[in-house]
Amino acid sequence: MRSRRLTGVAALAVAALTLAGCGLGSSDDTSSGSKPTVDANAQVTGEVSFQTWALKPKFTTYVEGVIKAFEAKYPGTKVTWLDQPGDGYDKKVLSQASAGQLPDVVNLPPDFALPLAKQSMLLDVGAADPKIAEEYVEGGVQAYQYQGQTGTFGYPWYLNTDIDYWNATKFAAVGLDAKNPPKTFDELLAAAKVMHDKSGGKEYMMSRLPGIGDLTNAGVKVLSDDGKTFTFNTPEAEALLDKYAAAYKAGYLPRDILTQQYLGNSKLFTQNKVAWTTGGGNALGDFVKDNPSLKGKVVPSPALDTPPLYVQGLSVSAKTKNQAAAIALARFVTNAENQAAFAKIVNIFPSTKASATDPYFSKSDGTPESDAKVLAFESLAKAKVLQPPVISGATNDFINQQISLAISGKVTSKQALDAAVAKANQLLAS
Amino acid sequence: MTVVTDPARPVAVPEASGTAPPRRKRGTFGFNSLSPTEKVVRYLLLVFVLLITIGPFLWQLSTSLKGSGEDIYTRIPRLLPSQPTLSHYGEVADTIPVWDYMRNSLQVAVLVVGGNIIGSSLAGFALSRLEFRFRRIVLGLFLATLVLPGEVTIISQYVTVRELGLANTLFGVALPGMIGALNVLLMYNAFRSLPVEVDQAAVVDGANVWQRFIHIGLPSVRGTLSVVAIFAFIGAWDDFLWPLIVLTDPDKYTLTVGLQYLSGTFSNDPRLIAAGTMIAFIPIVIVFATLQRFFFKGVEEGAVKG
Amino acid sequence: MRYHRWFTPWVLVIPALTWLLVFNLWPSINTVILSFTNAKPIGGGTFVGLKNFEALLHDEQLRWALLNSVIYMVVCLPFLTILPLLLAVLVEKKLPGITFFRTAFYTPVVASAVVVALIWQWILDDRGLVNGLAEKLGVISGPLPFLSDQWLLLFSAISLTIWKGLGYYMIIYLAALGNVGRELHEAAAVDGASAYRRFVHITIPGVRGTMILISILISVSALRVFSELFILSGGKGGPGGRDNSVVMLIQQYSQGFEGNLGYASALSIVLFFVTVVPMLLLARMNRKAADA
Repeated sequence: MRSRRLTGVAALAVAALTLAGCGLGSSDDTSSGSKPTVDANAQVTGEVSFQTWALKPKFTTYVEGVIKAFEAKYPGTKVTWLDQPGDGYDKKVLSQASAGQLPDVVNLPPDFALPLAKQSMLLDVGAADPKIAEEYVEGGVQAYQYQGQTGTFGYPWYLNTDIDYWNATKFAAVGLDAKNPPKTFDELLAAAKVMHDKSGGKEYMMSRLPGIGDLTNAGVKVLSDDGKTFTFNTPEAEALLDKYAAAYKAGYLPRDILTQQYLGNSKLFTQNKVAWTTGGGNALGDFVKDNPSLKGKVVPSPALDTPPLYVQGLSVSAKTKNQAAAIALARFVTNAENQAAFAKIVNIFPSTKASATDPYFSKSDGTPESDAKVLAFESLAKAKVLQPPVISGATNDFINQQISLAISGKVTSKQALDAAVAKANQLLAS
Repeated sequence: MTVVTDPARPVAVPEASGTAPPRRKRGTFGFNSLSPTEKVVRYLLLVFVLLITIGPFLWQLSTSLKGSGEDIYTRIPRLLPSQPTLSHYGEVADTIPVWDYMRNSLQVAVLVVGGNIIGSSLAGFALSRLEFRFRRIVLGLFLATLVLPGEVTIISQYVTVRELGLANTLFGVALPGMIGALNVLLMYNAFRSLPVEVDQAAVVDGANVWQRFIHIGLPSVRGTLSVVAIFAFIGAWDDFLWPLIVLTDPDKYTLTVGLQYLSGTFSNDPRLIAAGTMIAFIPIVIVFATLQRFFFKGVEEGAVKG
Repeated sequence: MRYHRWFTPWVLVIPALTWLLVFNLWPSINTVILSFTNAKPIGGGTFVGLKNFEALLHDEQLRWALLNSVIYMVVCLPFLTILPLLLAVLVEKKLPGITFFRTAFYTPVVASAVVVALIWQWILDDRGLVNGLAEKLGVISGPLPFLSDQWLLLFSAISLTIWKGLGYYMIIYLAALGNVGRELHEAAAVDGASAYRRFVHITIPGVRGTMILISILISVSALRVFSELFILSGGKGGPGGRDNSVVMLIQQYSQGFEGNLGYASALSIVLFFVTVVPMLLLARMNRKAADA
């Protein structure tokens, strides 16, 4: 009886297999190419769709204002605005892309834009608009240029970086001065030891596992120049992991961080469990909102080494039916004026060179929030993209798992790094 | 084996027509009277399980009521808000069109519940009470569905729905979940517990398949039917990723998707999110509390008969 | 002995069968095809033969994941088959306030993952409820690493699964208990049978079909566990990815724009064969029970 049922199922499956010509649903070639067909000065008119990521409802007024101004500047245009929720944005964009229905102008971080650019789904806006390199900061533009791809695949929109935040109360309790916090990784380790020893092992300074960004900061070359192989299994990388492993073993870090989420350390900081976290220029407000007792106790300082650069940008779909209007819109939303206005209602930083001299960003009004903002703005000048956009998904997970394994002491740092590099290369090649 | 029988199961024949509306009568069955000791023991056990299970719900409720000046992530969770306020609920309603989203969710849920009740009871009835060729193969297919690899299929589901012209519609959101294999199996299992003699008696009386389904089958599986309804409702109500992918137009968002607007890129108030979650939770409680009465078919019919 | 036209059953079955074919079987066949390719979520892929399956043989993480899944099933099966039944018997009796208890017991099933994670971290972390209590009682000298040790994390996740499953399987049992004739219970009670004897000799046989169906559901969902391990391991599968389940691996490989759908599909197919075994065994028991 059972075997008959199974053969029945199998027969059906085979029949369907032979029918399944469209098994690879999305293999139709987007051979339309990514080079623009009109120049940026063509007549701007008609309908264009615009997709943002999690800006509703806080910034509805702002975005609608920008759209209205755009439609006024280019009579005959009509912008359809779509805002997608924060969670699941990658899957949403993925389903849009595989259905060939990317909006004309779409907000994509560099690591989302890369695979789409590889599939020729995005327009090379650098070719359409040669002025892009003059008007936007270098780091922002570079984030949308990829090893192995020619072109610039997005207008940089807004930037952010991380700075350090310290809990002054916890510092004072063990005789450390939060006004003079650690400036290098080694000083941080030393402070972590003090925190541990003086509090009888009850308090923690650090609560973060190192990632690719930390390796870059330690002088490790993560990716080869041709972008084809990973190279981060170096002695420097080993030395860094060894330091973390030793600190972990000595109890300077909470044990449970081996399985903490990416935002674990800022959550622990908010919960008043650790004395250090990194966060954007606007993080201070969130700490105090979730835990009002932290008010007045948090001291910001610049990031330990090279600050990370986070870029958001607007890309233009290669399939857009209205290239002129799409390019004009992406350009308009990211121009100096509109970015500066945006940066004044939320703590982000403009990617236009013209904003660099705006005193709003470089002068503090004396509040801790404003201090943090100025610190972050100053850091931005030095900030670099620390994690190559090619590291995402399974590669990222696997590397983090291996790092976590090395820190736990189950394998040596070398074994972990070698395994991570081997797997990452295998995934890159596939 | 031709007919599935199970002599271990008692012959609990409902009143043949099933038209008399079964009404709950309190304490009519003498068996229900408990000694005081047993009552105390039962309540102790109930409270014990309650303590184990109620935690997340309480935390969510208390967070949603906490004032903006209160810590949320205290080291030891504090359940009683020190500055209780209902303002977050109002804020949720001001921030997003809760009622519209709820109406959308409700439309999807009604479609899914309706589809499952009808589709899975028909199939379950046929599979357990009627004899036909390939019956076992069909049954095996439903069983196999439980273990089919469904992890990487969401994009191809989307392609199917889009090709049917249902992208960006609430019907498209509801469609794939409208008949679940698990529900078919649950109904199959429920119909099976009805003794075959009842059917045979009905056949002798000249009842056709449809009459047997309506008058004998359905009344005897009300409990499982309400379980199916609960599962279908909650599945449809709580789903996030699928409606997100199918829907483009924010006016059509379901509640779980719409609630995402409470946690924007630059703003994140856990109190607000907790209030939103509580609002989404209320319909589930209503549906559950309403339908759980029907689990107790045996009890009610005993009462009617007695 | 047929009392209906030959097509009547088909009319009843066709709607459900259509859904099954379109929304379950068809995408799964697609998965089978994908497993022989190097497809990415966008841009399709090319046929690579058995390459993905060869790679599976050398995947150390898959070996851990399979081991974890089997442990998961073996531990969950007895607990989740019995405890929810006991719970169902407990809440079956109509007592004042019982609706409240029934509903409350079901809430973990619908609680949001974020909140569940938060609560369980409070309970299990180094300074959490369990460690705090145990230390106060002097049972342990230092905190147990419930959330960072490979095996303790697995068992923490198993307890989370059992906790969530209580309410879920409880209501399936409740509906089944409704089918057990009250007359039998009453007769047995009159005969002076103890509660325990009534449970073993009347309740359990009465819900045996349901019990087997539930066992199938438990083993299938234990082998396909995802959210509990994901929550407690911070989405990363623990140090070295040794606390992954097969579904977590599939999720890791298929996520994002550069997802390796071919490999993820091959993993899905492995998982299919792994879950089919206990299901066939239990289905066989079911038939024996029915034939008996």
